[in-house]
Amino acid sequence: MFPGATADRSASSYVVVGAPLDVSTSFQPGTRFGPDRVRRFAGTFEDYDRAADRLFSESGVADAGDVHAWNDAAEYVDYLASVCRDVVRDDAIPLTIGGEHTVSVAPVRAVDPDVFVVCDAHLDLREAYDGDPWSHSTVTGHALDVADEAVILGARSGSEAEWERAAEGDVTVVAPEDVAAWAPPAEFAERDVYLSVDVDAADPAYAPGTGTPEPFGLTSRELRDVVRAVAPHASGFDVVEVNDRDDGQAAVLAAKLLRAFVFAHADATAVDG
Amino acid sequence: MAKEQKEVRDLQEGNYVIVEDAACKIDGYSTAKPGKHGSAKARIEARGVFDGKRRSLSQPVDAKIWVPIINRKGGQIVSKESDTVVQVMDLETFETVTMEIPEDVDVDPDDEIEYLEWEGKRKVLQ
Repeated sequence: MFPGATADRSASSYVVVGAPLDVSTSFQPGTRFGPDRVRRFAGTFEDYDRAADRLFSESGVADAGDVHAWNDAAEYVDYLASVCRDVVRDDAIPLTIGGEHTVSVAPVRAVDPDVFVVCDAHLDLREAYDGDPWSHSTVTGHALDVADEAVILGARSGSEAEWERAAEGDVTVVAPEDVAAWAPPAEFAERDVYLSVDVDAADPAYAPGTGTPEPFGLTSRELRDVVRAVAPHASGFDVVEVNDRDDGQAAVLAAKLLRAFVFAHADATAVDG
Repeated sequence: MAKEQKEVRDLQEGNYVIVEDAACKIDGYSTAKPGKHGSAKARIEARGVFDGKRRSLSQPVDAKIWVPIINRKGGQIVSKESDTVVQVMDLETFETVTMEIPEDVDVDPDDEIEYLEWEGKRKVLQ
């Protein structure tokens, strides 16, 4: 269980879903250990968050455990989407922990957002990688089958074809050096937004435990600020691509970002009283 | 209750199934491959035929499950009580019954319609 995710599923506002898929990681594998590792490294955090003046354990978070993964990503995404649709139907927000980035397609289908906001070192706009249309490097493309537009924050890597695709009107790319100055556009207030965080958006100095590290990335604080800014508008969140090949830096950042999402979202949606 | 038993693995999208005592039509069916600890599971997402409510369940594929036997009948509109309630004469038994009709279905007296019937619940088809 994610530490502090003690709410009853039926009364929860947020539901953690572990999605340990690890079939298309193209360099260092290990995302199958991601959900366990993120939960484990969240164990050290204080329940109380000073910025939000709120206890995590009283923020209505439940943990639905992991959805066991197998080697067919397309089938797995179908199944996981069904699990996430149950969460959405219960008026709760799915908080998915990957697993490789492919898993994000499932909660995106369940939430059915207008805008897919993603922090990622890579554009992930490939149609296929090594002939695999469900590679983790296709996730933004799949998300755009559902959402009308994508905002990719911190991207610094992509093929020539992906950059050409990213130049089209439905994709906005914000370079790592411009992320600190970025703020959600005013129209987010009227749109359904989904937020996905690939932990490799962070510089590998902050999160080395990820499959395809890419230097010149975001700092932990820049990522936190993005999550805090987007969370009030978002109906779904995931953090993905954490593996077990570091001393816990990637996992602890992912866990903290998940909590930052909950605190910022709970703060924005709380009834003032 | 008019129903029959099937295995979860025999169901597919478009089939009927009973979820939480309600007759539902399946609009999502996905299966998880078995891991070391457990059998293959299927998730069924369905919408109530008569109440439109969404329901879901997760079961091993070899579990038994009840499927409602829903009758599809022909009827003739006798009169309109209101925009959403009509009196219909069953064309086989000539019995007259009152049933709700979706607002977007436009009928006049003497029109022939089709309707679904299960356990005293009825739904006019478009």
